[in-house]
Parts: sequence; C-alpha cells; structure tokens
Amino acid sequence: MKNVWRSIIEFNVPSEIGNERMVVDRVAAEARNYISGEPLEKLKTAVAEATLNAIEHGNQSRAELPVSVNLLISETAIAVRISDEGGDQPIPEHTSPDLEKKLAGLETPRGWGLFLIRNMVDEINITYDNGRHTVELLIYQNQN
Amino acid sequence: MAKSNVSLNVRKIDNNIQAIDIAGEINSFAENALMDAYSSISASGARVILLNFSKLEYMNSSGIGLLVTMLIRASRQKQRIMAYGLNDHYRQIFELTRLNEAIIIFPNEGTAIEAAKK
Repeated sequence: MKNVWRSIIEFNVPSEIGNERMVVDRVAAEARNYISGEPLEKLKTAVAEATLNAIEHGNQSRAELPVSVNLLISETAIAVRISDEGGDQPIPEHTSPDLEKKLAGLETPRGWGLFLIRNMVDEINITYDNGRHTVELLIYQNQN
Repeated sequence: MAKSNVSLNVRKIDNNIQAIDIAGEINSFAENALMDAYSSISASGARVILLNFSKLEYMNSSGIGLLVTMLIRASRQKQRIMAYGLNDHYRQIFELTRLNEAIIIFPNEGTAIEAAKK
C-alpha cells in the first residue's frame, strides 16, 4: 500500500557548513512529536550528515544555493527529504570506510558521512530531477 | 556565518596523563582547537590522553575524522587515547565506526585513570 505523506515542516538554508546544525534542530523540534529516544537521535545524525553532504558536495558550499528540507510523516514512517542543486554527481566517498586503513594512512581520515547515514535510518531513497538531487531518509514507526 | 562552538580545557592528571574536557560541538570548526590541545599535551610529554565527552553536545562525521587524525598522530608518538562520558548514541557511533577499538571507552574518569596507570 502506497504511503500517504503529510508535510510537517519545509524550509531552506544557505549552503554554508555549520548550517546543518540548524537543520537538525528545526527538524528535531517537530520530529520529537512522532519519535523519541534513540530513533530520534539516529534521525538527527542522519539529517546532519545528509545536509552536510548537500551543502559541501551538492551545492559546493555556495551560500547562494539553498538546501531544501522537508519533514513528512505517514501512518508507517517518518521521512526527511533533503535537496540540493548538485544533479546526479555521486558523493566522492568510500561506501565502507575502513578505520584500520585510515589509521595506516591508506584512506583519508574523513569520509564517514554516507556510512553513518546508511546505518542510522531504515531506508534511503535518492532521486534526481532537473539538476535537483534529493536524499530521502526514512525511519519506520512501530506499529501497535 | 557558522563558527566554532567548542570549548576545550586541557587538564593535567599526572606527569603521564592529561585530559581534554570537551564541551560543545566537535565538527570541522573544532579542528584548530582540538589539534592545539593535542599538541600542547604532546609537548608536555604525556603518554596518555583522556577525552572527556561528558559535555559533548554534537559530533558529526568531520568530528570523527578529527579523532582519526588525532589517533594517527598519537600512534606516531606512541601515545594512548582513552575516552569517557559518551552518551548512548555516541557510544553506538564509536562502535559502528570501530573507533572504540582504537579509543577505549570507560564509564567515568576514575576507571579511565586507573587503566591509564597500568
């Protein structure tokens, strides 16, 4: 059965590193009406990382380009959609960062963002539409 | 424009052990402060660095990268890094990234110091 989504909050932020914190705070302020505890903390981390990617990689940290954020809920899940103007360029990051390799100097110390996102949420959907790149983060809600 | 929102206090435990009390946010803006704190500890000759995360508010992937960089430098200097004060969420992130294998996590400063002295 297709999810019916209801938008809770939608806003834009300039693509400046550090603004992901503001995004997390605004999303969390609304999301805590629907999830709490560890699922909320995981969503916050995933939103921070996805926003940081949108800022740094999607919009190349160009402040004049906005990152769009939309929090939605359905009967079964909570979703955050984060969009940038980066088109279909992939994020240059190892899919499985290896700490041992990083400590040995064989990989950059950075590159943890995508890994964290994948491990924080239940589902990730990535779409491209006319130069607009959207990452959708989904956390399923428990059904009683 | 966003800026650093971290406060670091370097504290001497004994001639061999020093602590960094971290308050605020560990992200890319914290790089200079964190590396300066590490450098000052190294210059003192301490062999063990205790990271006190009990007032950590936020850490992102850039912050994890900074900890990895600190680990690389500590390894070259034959120093050990230990941590305490992590909340459940960040302890999970340490486990996910396997940082907990390189930075041993303790429940409090007392147990960390006890292990550091061995």
